[in-house]
Amino acid sequence: MLTVANISVRRGAAVTLRDLSLSLAPGRTLAVVGESGAGKSTLIGAILGLVRCSAGQVDWNAAPVSKCRPALVMQEPRAAFNPRLSLRRSVMEPVLAQKLAMDSDRLERLCRGLELQPDLLDRRPDQVSIGQAQRIGILRALIAAPPLVLFDEPLSALDAVTQKHTARLIADMQRQEGFAALIVTHDLGYAAAYADEIAVLRAGKIEEYAATQAFVDAPQSEYGRKLRGAAFALGALERVA
Amino acid sequence: MNIQANGLCAERSGRIILHPTDVNLKPGERVGLVGASGSGKSTLGHELVDGLRARGTRVAHVPQSPDEALDPLRTMAFHWRETEHALGHAPDTVRRDVLFHALQIEGGDLRKRPWGWSRGMQQRFVIAMALIGTPELLVMDEPTSALDPVVAAGTMDLLEAYLKKRQTALLLITHDLGLAARRVSRLMVMDAGRVVEDAPTARILSAPVTPAAKALCAHRNWLELPC
Repeated sequence: MLTVANISVRRGAAVTLRDLSLSLAPGRTLAVVGESGAGKSTLIGAILGLVRCSAGQVDWNAAPVSKCRPALVMQEPRAAFNPRLSLRRSVMEPVLAQKLAMDSDRLERLCRGLELQPDLLDRRPDQVSIGQAQRIGILRALIAAPPLVLFDEPLSALDAVTQKHTARLIADMQRQEGFAALIVTHDLGYAAAYADEIAVLRAGKIEEYAATQAFVDAPQSEYGRKLRGAAFALGALERVA
Repeated sequence: MNIQANGLCAERSGRIILHPTDVNLKPGERVGLVGASGSGKSTLGHELVDGLRARGTRVAHVPQSPDEALDPLRTMAFHWRETEHALGHAPDTVRRDVLFHALQIEGGDLRKRPWGWSRGMQQRFVIAMALIGTPELLVMDEPTSALDPVVAAGTMDLLEAYLKKRQTALLLITHDLGLAARRVSRLMVMDAGRVVEDAPTARILSAPVTPAAKALCAHRNWLELPC
């Protein structure tokens, strides 16, 4: 279980995260929503240990998070890979880094689950579509069976149809693999459809932290209400009379 | 008078990326150009803008990201003057104030460079620049994808109110049918460089005919909520 307890992050004089706490159990999905500059990506950095917290603690089952080898799926699918390596080499990186035995059955099973033709892996990042690149990014994140996977805006580079397809595949993989998923997104529609809980982040603070249905039915904070209104105005959520 | 362009087409490296296409908009009409990435939406948008400009129609184009429209080394005041100059207008602070008020960016400091403004304000500044020449048609390419949802929704509402008053036609280019469905009365669906379906929004949403339109409709919303 991921436990983030009262963390703060300072950048010079500015406080980018302040006194932030949340928790996430295996098999569950937490969506962190908020505007640009709210501190969403800093939160991911703090959980991964890439950004130093000035206060508070981040644990996985009472041990440092790095021990559980969490995985990250990045926003820009093609930029997330070394352009000079084949995708297969990049996908196997976590296996090599952790000195695990190569399990070709697992690779094949994950490829099937993510609707990827295995021969795509012999190409380079610029020889696949953005949607395929993102699914291969997810494949790389899952190959070493991490208990915690962080997704930083996993769908924002994709078109609307590919977004919904990829979101469904992420949810299917989570059901099979049982990892805890923390998804940072600015798309409340996506969060509402797939997350168990939603945390609304604004100016480094959690404005609202609630079960998804409760949030979508009746946001308690003013900013939460604005976000919900915007999601309707942009057609991300639809009202049915 | 209708805004019309016939036989728009484009070719890159010997490959046809836009097959001959006719576009026809009534004054003040709001049309959505939708389709998956790579279907040729932006290409059609560019060809339409170039074709209409060559014939003297006043048409403005707002690119997807304000980075494409603003020079990071120039002040916002410079951008504004340069646009007025290019359109052959004398500097007019009243017109500027009206546009800034309509898009709610009166608070922006014009002495600053683009990066001194938030992205939401930059995008609205670019939209305001596009409206200086009182265009007959405004072409917007994914106008909201660079913005936070709250700012994006606000910008679309402000723009819609402004265009309605002036009978300016709008071509909204987007991959997001959910967004287009709320903003336009007619949809043109693109697939592989062709317009495959062109019909009123309500008709396409209720009974899509082509596979491209069916895919967009099936994936229109994340969730439907009883409200």
